[in-house]
Amino acid sequence: MHLPRFEYIRAKNLADGLALLAEHGADAKVMSGGSDLLINMKFRLDTPKVLISLNGVEELQTISVRADGRLQIGAGCRLTELVANPIISERFPILHDAMFSVGSRHIRNIATLGGNLCLETRCWYTNQSENWRMTREGCFKTDLEACHVIKTANRCHAINSSDTAPALMVLDASVIVARHDGQREVALIDFYHDDGVDHTVIKPDELLTAVLIPGSSRRTIFAKLAQRVGLDFAVGTFAASVSGSNDAPDSVCLVLNSVSAAPKVLAESEKILTESGLSDEAIEAAAIAARKALGEVTNLFTPSGFKRRLVKTLIRDALHELREQAS
Amino acid sequence: MSKQIITLTVNGHPHEIAIETHHTLLDVLRNELGMTGTKRGCTAGSCGVCTVNGDAGEAICSCLSLAIEWDGRSVTTIEGVQEGSELHPIQAAFLEYGAVQCGFCTPGLIMTTKSLLDFNTSPSEEEINETLAGAICRCTGHIKVKKAVRKAAEMLREREAG
Repeated sequence: MHLPRFEYIRAKNLADGLALLAEHGADAKVMSGGSDLLINMKFRLDTPKVLISLNGVEELQTISVRADGRLQIGAGCRLTELVANPIISERFPILHDAMFSVGSRHIRNIATLGGNLCLETRCWYTNQSENWRMTREGCFKTDLEACHVIKTANRCHAINSSDTAPALMVLDASVIVARHDGQREVALIDFYHDDGVDHTVIKPDELLTAVLIPGSSRRTIFAKLAQRVGLDFAVGTFAASVSGSNDAPDSVCLVLNSVSAAPKVLAESEKILTESGLSDEAIEAAAIAARKALGEVTNLFTPSGFKRRLVKTLIRDALHELREQAS
Repeated sequence: MSKQIITLTVNGHPHEIAIETHHTLLDVLRNELGMTGTKRGCTAGSCGVCTVNGDAGEAICSCLSLAIEWDGRSVTTIEGVQEGSELHPIQAAFLEYGAVQCGFCTPGLIMTTKSLLDFNTSPSEEEINETLAGAICRCTGHIKVKKAVRKAAEMLREREAG
């Protein structure tokens, strides 16, 4: 597959990039690594008139500790570089594990953290070549109010496959969303919409510039299931963090991804574990509650029934592992 | 849309090339420079057959990188691996262990292996697996490839020891 034509503009710095976005807005796409965007462009799912390259923007590639103690990671930092960063491995092992699980080493050498958080949602029917797609009618993602996966759907159910999103969400992370005339901070938990077509709060003239992670003493675990672990997008991604003891935790955060258009906070399961502690029975109950909370599930990669069972097992095994960490 | 001129150093030789903005690094290597050692596979980053090594020796999929982003930078391709008239130890080891079936994935596997062994001649089993996960042999499997990688590492260690 070849890329469609576009006008290429390389932003000199962040202000220049934001000015270009303000000017070209909906006609433009920003690119750092390009490992997601370029494939979608080859599929003709994205045909921007203007491609704004952020690879020359140094402000997006810095890591620093802010005055408020939070670690700030530039959205343009490459995953390989972040995986090798000792501060992240020591302070936020869950983020290290999540980033290490993204794609293959080849992909991590070009992919960025911001790109992974903004990853386009994917669907078995839509994320195919144009010729392949032409064999059937369009869908919410293209030009029709229809979904081929869940026939009764009134919105797009394409899947959010970001591995870093759930890990950062259980760390209570935020992101900075900038535009030419200012910036805002958005808690990652409020960043996603459960709609595959419009799945983040980012507007066409905005850019995710950095990730902010507060210091944390929480114990964490990251688990990912994929057909080929070293390469594929996940069938299920689970992140959990706990503060306090196993028997009487102060708080529990559980987030599941790669099953819906937005990462899913498992509120009911969190409540069960906070009230009952991480006993065998409570973990089983939390995993069952998570399975029930799934709602409509697409059959991307695996039949949806199998996926429901798989999610339960993923969560149960990960929580057992998290519990063992303390002892 | 008009063409743009970039300077790209391939295997140590600088080239001035007129490219179009929508050309990938792979397109330019194969179509503009005629260096067809780097293969074209899935073109979507899943197979690693187009692997080349970037400025820092890192393995990347050349199908997923815009050529224009490579202005002023350098890449190493399979054509630049051989050392004069001698095979590179990685190539020699691939031959010795028959880590080649149809040969289509071999350039990608060799460049992937090189991105590991250039920095670490004593890789663990896990590091070998993790690196090779990005380059897929379509014919058979990675058993002989892994044997070859271990042999190449051994040859490179011997060379280091002098």
